[in-house]
Amino acid sequence: MSYLEDDLKMALQRTEPSEDFVGRVLARVKQPPPPEPGWWKRLTVLLRPPRLQWVAACIILSVVIPVSGVQYRKEQRMRAEGEKAKEQLMFAVRVAGSRLHRVRQKVLKMGRMETRL
Amino acid sequence: MKILRILTICILAGALGRGQAIDLKHLDRLVAKASETADVTLDGSLLKLGAKFLSADDPDQAKVRKLVAGLKGIYVRTFTFENEGEYSESDVVSIRKQLESPGWSRIVGVRSKKDKENAEVYLKTDGPDGGLAIICANPKELTVVSIVGKINLDELSELGGKLGVPEMDLEKPKPSGLEKPKPPNKKDDD
Repeated sequence: MSYLEDDLKMALQRTEPSEDFVGRVLARVKQPPPPEPGWWKRLTVLLRPPRLQWVAACIILSVVIPVSGVQYRKEQRMRAEGEKAKEQLMFAVRVAGSRLHRVRQKVLKMGRMETRL
Repeated sequence: MKILRILTICILAGALGRGQAIDLKHLDRLVAKASETADVTLDGSLLKLGAKFLSADDPDQAKVRKLVAGLKGIYVRTFTFENEGEYSESDVVSIRKQLESPGWSRIVGVRSKKDKENAEVYLKTDGPDGGLAIICANPKELTVVSIVGKINLDELSELGGKLGVPEMDLEKPKPSGLEKPKPPNKKDDD
């Protein structure tokens, strides 16, 4: 018989469990399940490498979407104000120009009348 | 107290000297009496914003854009009344008094007994800014325009004749009987 066979026999030899083995197993079975992990533990789970990209994407989107929304509304407001200012400007120039035009025409008319006289 | 008064006078004088708009606040009381009012207050930033929105493709808007490029403010008050005498001469006098300050000069004053219309044009030529003020008053309408900045009067008048306001019929000199109508230009065939 070789040494290898002896070693195998020794290794596979039946050994009896200790006397308190059954008691320990039963005691473990009766123990309550471990408590649920806290939110911080779950968060750390999220930050594990495979999910990190998703979390980063979510954070970026949660920042980008509101910021672009605010920017869009700001631009809309700016555009509305600009259009209003444009209308007012056109009106003001129209009024100023028409009054000046009227005065000018009256002066020209008077000039012509004087020339005729 | 005396110092405060002097300081106030200095600030007001400085404001007028720099070509600030004339004060039109006292006209606000006419809003209640008028049947129609128009109030345009375009100061520097708003004027620039409005000018930015003027289209370069529209020829009239492009002209307005060019015209207002150097301006610092446009203020217009127009009141239309149902009946005559709803505004007093003192309303106009207080504006005129402001335009008597140094720098301003009255370039045109037209008084029409037929239309009962009184129109005045003031120009501020000295100083870095310049300005224009127009007062048009007839029994049922009062218009005051104040422009801060240098403006081309010819262009403004030309635009006034175009922008939605029909060109008034100028009394064209009628051809006298002695004048023969000119023949159409002939082309030189040789």
